[in-house]
Amino acid sequence: MARIAAAILALCLATAVHARPVSYEGGWTLIEETDRQSTALWVHYTPNPKLSLGWRSEWDRKQDFVLNGPQATFLVKRWFGENYQANVYGFAGGGLLSGLEDNPADGSGALFGGIFADWETRRLFASYRARGLEGGKVDSSFMQAARLGFAPYEGDTGDLHTWLMVEADHRPDNSDPVGVTPLLRFFKGPMLFEAGWSLTDDEPLVNFTYRF
Amino acid sequence: MFRTLIICFSLSLASSYAVQAETSHDHHGDHHHEGTEDAPGISAPLTKTEPIATALKAGGEPVVADLLGVVCDFCATALNKTFGKREEVAAAYVDLDTKTLSLVMKPDMTLSDSEIERLVEKAGYRLAALRRGEDALKGAANASDAS
Repeated sequence: MARIAAAILALCLATAVHARPVSYEGGWTLIEETDRQSTALWVHYTPNPKLSLGWRSEWDRKQDFVLNGPQATFLVKRWFGENYQANVYGFAGGGLLSGLEDNPADGSGALFGGIFADWETRRLFASYRARGLEGGKVDSSFMQAARLGFAPYEGDTGDLHTWLMVEADHRPDNSDPVGVTPLLRFFKGPMLFEAGWSLTDDEPLVNFTYRF
Repeated sequence: MFRTLIICFSLSLASSYAVQAETSHDHHGDHHHEGTEDAPGISAPLTKTEPIATALKAGGEPVVADLLGVVCDFCATALNKTFGKREEVAAAYVDLDTKTLSLVMKPDMTLSDSEIERLVEKAGYRLAALRRGEDALKGAANASDAS
């Protein structure tokens, strides 16, 4: 019941993912991310095509804290081809922690940073991301995740694009450090929605992105 | 139970769209290409959507930009929004199949090649080639290299 409530809450909070964490110049993006570890809401603005600046609120359900603060994402390098695009991004942020369930982290600061890389054609997708977090009364944490995807058909502009994906994540601090999550990605116009289920923790993955 | 429902729903949705996409490539009903879309060595012509056809009838200049790195609808959204804000542009459409941006300018207005290239980069992508006028309408074997 609690898991269903968490999934519904995540859907209600809804908005987007690591598909293009930097938008077009002048664009706003709203993102919700829920995985086996946390639920996050993230809004960012792109002042130029190599940088986005935003605000991230993240509820770490395993470590019982909420982190609120700014996040900057930089496009380090983009490769263009007629049939593919590849990107490497760096990101960094920080903020104040609020402890939940007797977590004494209340009011202490935290910093995080990491990288995200992807390669995509209209049929194939691969990505990798890694993030480290250092917070006063919260133990430092590290995670990394890799994803592979396949589109069963090529949709044109405005069609519903469908992807079958699997994500493997590694969180050394967890009791189950390696997680596997199959998921479906749906893309249509300015919206992206992902739904999956962690086979490791029996938890939902729900991601949503809207690009204004 | 909840997990089973999600998996069943997602798989049925994915498979139905896959079948639909494979069997009906009148793709999308609201636009069509003239000429030689898939012919090797021939650049695609202007994609004809209703707004583009209307803008052409009004006497606007057609322009087709061949693009690099355009693989998803977010790319199309970025380019459509970037060019849609320009007062010179009467209609714009990104075609993922041909990897082109089709533009029709307002009568007596235009954007220079360098300005179009700058706007494509503002959207986060790269221009490969640019065609105007008849070359844009019919497709061309020898598009001008923008790089």
